[in-house]
Amino acid sequence: MKTFVYITLLFLLGVAYAQTPVPAPPQSKPIALTGATAHLGNGQVINNAVVAFDKGKLTIVAPASSNPNLSGYEVINVSGKHIYPGFILPNSQVGLQEVTSIRAMNDFQERGEMNPNVRALIAYNTDSEFIPTFRFNGVLLAEATPTGGTISGTSSVMEMEGWNWEDAAHSIDIGIHMNWPSMMRRQFDFNTFTFSEQANNEYDKQVTELHQFFTEAKAYGQQAARETNLKFEAMQGLFDGRKILFIHAGSPKEIVESVRFAQRQGVQKITLITGTSAVWVADFLKENNIPVIIQDTHNLPDRIDDDIDLPFRAPYLLHQAGVQVSLFCAGALHNGRNLPFFAGTAVAYGMDKEEALKTITLNTAKALGIDKRVGSLEVGKDATLFVSEGDALDYRTNNLLMAFISGKRITLSGNQQELYERYSRKYGQMK
Amino acid sequence: MKRLLLVLLLALAMPLAAQETFPRNDVKDPRAGLFAFTNATVVVDAQTTLNNATLLVRDGKIEQVGTNISVPRGYAVYDLKGKYIYPAFIDLSSYYGLPEVQRPRGGGFSGVEQIQSNTKGAYNANQAIRSHYNAADEFTINNKSADELRKAGFGAVLSHKPDGIARGTGAFVTLGETSDNQVMLRQKAAALYSFDKGSSTQNYPSSLMGCIALLRQTYLDAEWFGSHNPRPFADNSLEAWIQNQKLPQIFEANSWMNILRADKVGDEFGVQYIIKGGGDEYKRINEIKSTRATLIVPVNFPDAYDVEDPLDAARVSLAEMKHWELAPTNLAALEKAGIPFVITANGLRRVADFIPNIRKAMEYGLSEGAALKALTATPAQLIGMDNQIGSLKKGMIANFLITSGKIFDEKTIIYENWIQGKPYSIKPLDTKDFSGNYQLSVGETNYVLEVSGEAGAHKAKVKLNDTTSVDATATFKENLITLSFKPSPKESGTIRLSGWTENNGWKGKGQLVNGQWVNWSATRTGDVKSNTAGRAGAQDKKTPEVGKVIYPFIAHGYPSLPVAETMIIRNATVWTNEAEGILQNTDVLIKDGKIARIGKNLSEPGAKIIDGTGKHLTPGIIDEHSHIATASVNDVATNSGMVRIGDNIDAENINVYRALAGGVVAVQILHGSANPIGGQSALVKLRWGEAPENYKIQGADRFIKFALGENVKRTANANSIRYPQTRMGVEQVYMDAFTSALEYKKKWDAYNSLPAKEKATAIKPRRDLAEEAMLDIINKKLFITCHSYVQSEINMLMKVAEKFNFRVNTFTHILEGYKVADKMAQHGVAASSFADWWNYKWEVRYAIPYNAAILTRAGVLTAINSDDAEMGRRLNQEAAKTVKYGGLSEEEALKTVTLNPAKMLHLDNQMGSIKVGKSADVVLWTDHPLSVYAKAEKTIIDGKVYFDIEKDAQNRKEQEAERARLIQKMKDAKRAGAPTQRGEGRSQVMFHCEDVLGVEFDDHDH
Repeated sequence: MKTFVYITLLFLLGVAYAQTPVPAPPQSKPIALTGATAHLGNGQVINNAVVAFDKGKLTIVAPASSNPNLSGYEVINVSGKHIYPGFILPNSQVGLQEVTSIRAMNDFQERGEMNPNVRALIAYNTDSEFIPTFRFNGVLLAEATPTGGTISGTSSVMEMEGWNWEDAAHSIDIGIHMNWPSMMRRQFDFNTFTFSEQANNEYDKQVTELHQFFTEAKAYGQQAARETNLKFEAMQGLFDGRKILFIHAGSPKEIVESVRFAQRQGVQKITLITGTSAVWVADFLKENNIPVIIQDTHNLPDRIDDDIDLPFRAPYLLHQAGVQVSLFCAGALHNGRNLPFFAGTAVAYGMDKEEALKTITLNTAKALGIDKRVGSLEVGKDATLFVSEGDALDYRTNNLLMAFISGKRITLSGNQQELYERYSRKYGQMK
Repeated sequence: MKRLLLVLLLALAMPLAAQETFPRNDVKDPRAGLFAFTNATVVVDAQTTLNNATLLVRDGKIEQVGTNISVPRGYAVYDLKGKYIYPAFIDLSSYYGLPEVQRPRGGGFSGVEQIQSNTKGAYNANQAIRSHYNAADEFTINNKSADELRKAGFGAVLSHKPDGIARGTGAFVTLGETSDNQVMLRQKAAALYSFDKGSSTQNYPSSLMGCIALLRQTYLDAEWFGSHNPRPFADNSLEAWIQNQKLPQIFEANSWMNILRADKVGDEFGVQYIIKGGGDEYKRINEIKSTRATLIVPVNFPDAYDVEDPLDAARVSLAEMKHWELAPTNLAALEKAGIPFVITANGLRRVADFIPNIRKAMEYGLSEGAALKALTATPAQLIGMDNQIGSLKKGMIANFLITSGKIFDEKTIIYENWIQGKPYSIKPLDTKDFSGNYQLSVGETNYVLEVSGEAGAHKAKVKLNDTTSVDATATFKENLITLSFKPSPKESGTIRLSGWTENNGWKGKGQLVNGQWVNWSATRTGDVKSNTAGRAGAQDKKTPEVGKVIYPFIAHGYPSLPVAETMIIRNATVWTNEAEGILQNTDVLIKDGKIARIGKNLSEPGAKIIDGTGKHLTPGIIDEHSHIATASVNDVATNSGMVRIGDNIDAENINVYRALAGGVVAVQILHGSANPIGGQSALVKLRWGEAPENYKIQGADRFIKFALGENVKRTANANSIRYPQTRMGVEQVYMDAFTSALEYKKKWDAYNSLPAKEKATAIKPRRDLAEEAMLDIINKKLFITCHSYVQSEINMLMKVAEKFNFRVNTFTHILEGYKVADKMAQHGVAASSFADWWNYKWEVRYAIPYNAAILTRAGVLTAINSDDAEMGRRLNQEAAKTVKYGGLSEEEALKTVTLNPAKMLHLDNQMGSIKVGKSADVVLWTDHPLSVYAKAEKTIIDGKVYFDIEKDAQNRKEQEAERARLIQKMKDAKRAGAPTQRGEGRSQVMFHCEDVLGVEFDDHDH
């Protein structure tokens, strides 16, 4: 009901949208949020906190009892509410995809196998209608990620706010996404109406091609005189640590093979993107210090025999094994707005609440190499945060009252709220 | 040798009367075909064995058999002392001698649709109805296959072409090689059917349930067609169908669930099929028995899986492992249950495995008599040929086997397979037994020669002195021997001997290592000492230990089904969905499957007490839109109203258990959205472990799926030619269907109102199951759940319904329902929506998560559904979104997945709320049911606990142990030399609306 009132208020103020909401201006004065429970994203909680920021950066994150100096701050009392760092959706096609089934609206998959040079950033559409729906639930940052081929391209982290892609870019060209070949091929059997897996006879060949590509790219970097190769230029960041190699791998054996491959190629930073199979090689991942982004909890088990709650429990099991784990949305893009609830489900199946929060905040920031600026509420980091009526990981209480991206107070409603308003009025449901 | 030669000669020129009409290219060579087999053990049939008996054959038939028969003069005599004669086997499920079926490739729905049959000529409207086909027209002897089958003991087969749903007739042929004319014993011996459309390229049917619907309609069509004289038009297929009804009716089902499905179709039309199964009948022996069908059962036991690598072994499911272990127990289980069966070699990769597999089945308890009967008398009887074949009585066709011993004994050799009085040699009949010890003298040197093993497979060893012996290479023929060995183990040269058989050994010439020629001889001195107990122990063998059958037969099944319990859930927060609202600290008594009492401090003698403190008890979740537990989801005819999901419930679907664990008790299994008029739904409760029929909610109203918009326009298929291609056309499909249904009614009304006299002679109109479905809708006996998105089409269907004076029951998806909520309320239609899905295709661009709230407030009965096995197992969470978006009260929200769908499905008199007298379909949650933190602890249906979080944890441990046991057993089998196969990682299909033939399009394209 509160959202309802809030939206109504916006309308009374004459804020109606036929388009996506107008981007907010930069933070003009220091703001202090007081009285709320602050979930820092790093595992800590501050009750009755003061969270203050200026020029887009956090200046105070402290208990009220420490009596911080708030002179000059616009103080907003949010007692009884909860403050969170903005949630981060990694490995998504946000801004690159609109109506999935319409080819003209898809800009996330370039043709060809080796595309390290294609950059998600420049196709990113700030006016995507998915964006307001993400923000509405607390997702304030997302990685725009190319897909397809063997090396899909280069991703960037985007703020869910901005006039254009340059404006919205948070961290440009953070890494390259590689799809590790599958050892098995899935085949549909019309006789039994089941899928079966057959060995992929091309596997060794595909791995050899990758090996060739990486070794030549590395050699290219050491050549004094060379003709510019855009693909190899894009690859250099992997060897000098400027870019992360995001490995997409499926089965436990593929995980091991792909990580070993990247290590041998001299890749400096590796993040693994996978499913529940990570659970079987958790020790390997821990020993090799590989951050893992796994498919969200709202998935079915891969196999009939799997424990029915395996996808729900997988983040907990990995965390227990000492692996740094975060979540991506494996389903359709529109489901990205349910990111907080993916983490909430992990709580129901064993994970500590603040630990689960990390899987969509600080752990994600680390896996994307952006934790110096975002992922937790710490002084000096971006003021990218929101205030929720209650526990933001639960459906019952995830209800955003206000949100800030780099200190800019953003509009939370969008077209969906506008349509809600329009038709509620039509039927006289809105009092 | 002489006999062999004779056999060969006979084979070349056996005269049979049938060949009289053929031109001769030689002098006449008339033969009487008189054979006498004496001193044999003759197994006349499974009940009768004659010792020391004589069998006389005359002209391909058995002339006499008995113990007191003297052989008249003029018979070629075979002395079979110590040997056995058995009737040759009969296989009723064979494709022998027929061309292979050309199947169209692939599935999916991306090509140009073929709406009509493309069979040229006056044949059936559906290409898969091939009742006009006769195997006899195409049959020709195939020497290679015949040889394989004869070696496995077969003498005759019922051969048919596995093509089509009605496959026409099969021919009963022997496995002789004389001529096509002579081996064919009966041209039309049976009519055959299946659920496989074979070579048909026509779109309909494209699903299992479509195949069933087509069969049903064809029975009706044939009846109508046959009632006309003259016929209304020519249809060679229906004509043949009518004729074929007089024959034995055989259905190739290939799995236990399909056996039940086929039998049910038969029951509807008074046909008892003989049904070919899949060898997995042991999984549901009681249900199989209740069909009263005689089964044709394969013995294609799977190879062990290669499970050396534990990560790879994870691909092999528990069900596959258990089937590997239990498949050999199948025939014994059928025998024990008293289910009549015959055995087929069909499905074996190597026909040579046939007898070894029968033997294996016997190790697991199949009796010899039952095996023999199932291969001889019963199959003959089933096709009405038992007066000619299947036993060795006087006058029968001379199809028999000559063996060295009891047919299924491990060491038994089949020497000859006689077919129609003509021998086909497998192993030389006169193989002499040379086993024994011999004194071997080669020139001046003496050795001991030891010949061991069975006749025909002897091994030889030469003892050089008391401590050293060497293996010898030897071939033993009746008259000749070749033998070579090393005179010293260290030497590379050999002594090579060639010789001839004498009374008590051999004599001959040989060459020593240095090339010197010598004379040699071997004289028998006595028997070889056997070093094992040999076959004596065979009968003491215990039946091997095997694991339990679980229900259903996949991982997460249980060895037993839950029973209704009397229980009190004590001190819970009870969401009644009734006027009482949410009751705190309340007890609920469940008894006899019903909610018996609600109150405080309840007591009931014998009741189990379940502590509900801090927990929430809610009515079980009902998913108005689901595609779990069905073997197929979409057929493709524009009007598929005759198709019924209920015909193909899948009782082995893992998503049922996953949904139970999410508190779901019942679902409407809907047909997909590939067509404006889809198939009829099944309303089921998730009775995990039960047989398919027991899933169904008895007495429930019938529902049918309609669909609008992009899917039915085939938007995703750029090549589609199917009508309709626009929303304008979609409306016309409905106008046409309902208009036509009224015409159909008129025809029947006219017929039914005829005076009795006229009616007796009048021809009944044709029954059309699609028309009847439309009429049932108009008559409010069948209710529409319509897949819909945009406001124009929603409005349209309501107007069509109003024109025909009925109401649409439910719009499902209905994502733009909020735009016409007032009209929907006025029409009285319900809405069943997604909580927050949108933008995956154009028609859902303006879907909003506030839809349910707006509709509810506008007075539309509203539910939240899944259409997806993943969302389907956390519908409580989806319901919670209606609070977040649009602010429904928490009680209203819970109702969107319980009481409201119950009302839509007309089940609210028995489900959907916690009310005394209603069915005990409830869920105990660990937490507030709308919270992301809530887990279902117990899911109860009919007062039976179908999901229990504790029991689940226990079962995981047990199944882990069971897997470990089976993995060890497979490793042992591999080490012992058993062939293995690689695990294929089979996984079940998760269906969505859009899926045709199980192929998933895009991501969740609903």
